[in-house]
Amino acid sequence: MRVIRHLLDVPSTDPDGQRRARLLNILLLGVTVVTLSALLATAVVGMTGLEEWEQIAPLSRGIQAAFVGILTIFAINRFWSGWLASSLFLLLLTAVFAFTDTPQQVVDGRALFLFAIPIMMASVLLRPWASFVMATLVSLVIAVIALSIDFVPPAPTMLGFFTIALVAWLSARSLERALKDLRVLNQDLDRRVVARTRELAETLSKTQAILEGIADGVIVFDNDAQAILANPAIAGLLGWPTDEIVGCDVETLIGDNVSSNDRDVLIDLLRSGEMASPAGVKFEWGDKTLSVSAATVSLNTGEIIGIVAVFRDFTREAEIDRMKSSFMSTASHELRTPLNAILGYTDMLQEGVCGPISERQRGTLERIAVNTDRLLGLVSNLLDQAQIEAGMLMLNVAPFSLADLIGDVVSMVDVLARAKGLDLTSHIADDVPTTLFGDRQRLHQILINLVGNAVKFTEEGSVSIRAYRADAERWALKVADTGCGISLEAQEYVFDPFRRADESLTREHTGTGLGLSIVKQLVDLMEGEITLESEVGRGSTFTVVLPMVPPAWSKLRAASP
Amino acid sequence: MSNPIALIVEDDYDLSNIFAEALQAAGFESEIIRTGDKAAARLASVTPDVVVLDLHLPGIAGTDILDRIRADSRLAEARVIVVTADACMAETLREEADLVLVKPISFSQLRDLSARLK
Repeated sequence: MRVIRHLLDVPSTDPDGQRRARLLNILLLGVTVVTLSALLATAVVGMTGLEEWEQIAPLSRGIQAAFVGILTIFAINRFWSGWLASSLFLLLLTAVFAFTDTPQQVVDGRALFLFAIPIMMASVLLRPWASFVMATLVSLVIAVIALSIDFVPPAPTMLGFFTIALVAWLSARSLERALKDLRVLNQDLDRRVVARTRELAETLSKTQAILEGIADGVIVFDNDAQAILANPAIAGLLGWPTDEIVGCDVETLIGDNVSSNDRDVLIDLLRSGEMASPAGVKFEWGDKTLSVSAATVSLNTGEIIGIVAVFRDFTREAEIDRMKSSFMSTASHELRTPLNAILGYTDMLQEGVCGPISERQRGTLERIAVNTDRLLGLVSNLLDQAQIEAGMLMLNVAPFSLADLIGDVVSMVDVLARAKGLDLTSHIADDVPTTLFGDRQRLHQILINLVGNAVKFTEEGSVSIRAYRADAERWALKVADTGCGISLEAQEYVFDPFRRADESLTREHTGTGLGLSIVKQLVDLMEGEITLESEVGRGSTFTVVLPMVPPAWSKLRAASP
Repeated sequence: MSNPIALIVEDDYDLSNIFAEALQAAGFESEIIRTGDKAAARLASVTPDVVVLDLHLPGIAGTDILDRIRADSRLAEARVIVVTADACMAETLREEADLVLVKPISFSQLRDLSARLK
């Protein structure tokens, strides 16, 4: 194969020259075949004695000479000049045609048409205008032959030859033009492709550089939730090499590494690219806490092609948050203890444990108690306030089951309720959806507080928890008890973060832990409402109304195109 | 008949005094113990009628003492008043406590409640 290719190779680098030389090779091949067949025929004829050897001897010699000629032309074409080879070929052809038949036939008969062949070939083997040269040469040869046998040179035929030459010239020219245009076009295209590829490579490497440089982890998921891109930073955060991350789908990536609470929220975020709250989702990963935010990636047409998720190491912030909380509870405890001691001793004095006291002494002691109580309240609320603010960092809005939540709270309070002989009931109305959106942990705090208080302040009767649909956009929780109730004056300040106790009132027993002020603040945070109905001696009912769709969620939805 | 005995297990100086006074005013003989280890030891030798137990103790945890009291048949009659600052803890406590009070406890409240337990 290679040998043949080597043989057929042409020295010219010009595409037109190459084409012509190749064409010549093809023609030579054709002629060779014909010649070979003729040789075979003569050999057969000679061997079988069909004709006299002397008759066919010149023919066979002629054929042998033709062979030599073909080989020579081939060699010239291959190793020297296509021009020369083609010219020789055409001349040879013309010569051969001039002697194929009797001179009469050549100039006036059936052999005349043969001369059209080299005229047409000239256009494609040499140059388009070479057909005219060939036509001239052929005409000359015919004229000479004609004159040699006293014939009139066939002028119309010669004119015909020139016409053929014209046609050949036109076709060859337009062909070569077309080919040239194509070549130019090709080159132009090639150039453009090269330039564009270079541009693309530059942009790509810039983008790549940016992605590699960012400190935050980036994963891009396609519409089937498969990771198609991951940068080095995420490899560091997750502790897996980049090529293991790419190709995984969301569930595989998260696997069992994330606690079940966070898992569903996280998967939902990574699959949809929709953020429930601007703060994103926080989750534990090994010994780190990570925070992730996501967004959809869309083209100019609006078509969504994937989701990009940005991960950040939140461990430090989470640690600070925990430290703050733990500092808060310690400080809280430390500050409250001496105040409680003061109240205790004051109480003792008032009760006459240390001896009888006068009315004036009693009154003064009462003032000490009221102010200490007030201080206690301020301290408690200041610290609770700070705690809420600290806790806000870890707010996670997600779908949750209301039935589960209420169930949890009930089981926590049930023991105490039963010990006191109270009837603790809960009920969820049918028109409340089974899954609601919100921060489950915070709602739990609210509920445990309200229900815990209800049980604490009720000595007999019942505590009931009701959940129902307030209207199309809101749902409500109602905690009602048959306890001691809250006076109208107290109702005024029961939610206040900084209670301004009426100075003439006696100190009331209060529990600590998270107060109603916290409950109100949490409800406000969720853009809900809390109201109280109470009558001293009859009981209290706290009603919390919350939006079905947390505001952060709806704001985000409205903002996205 | 001698007065019923109350054991106050509380590490804070002032609070333990107040609790002791309260139980005293309710008619008990109060004894103050300030650590969990001492409480465990004392419970082995005395049979109190009421134990006022603070959960936040140095040494053995308050909940351990509670478990021990309930496990001991000799102390089956003892009433335990658990005192704690943690409201959530209070609400999750098992039925082993007869009464769970959340700090701050008022003197008079403790006195009246414990009087009922006599």
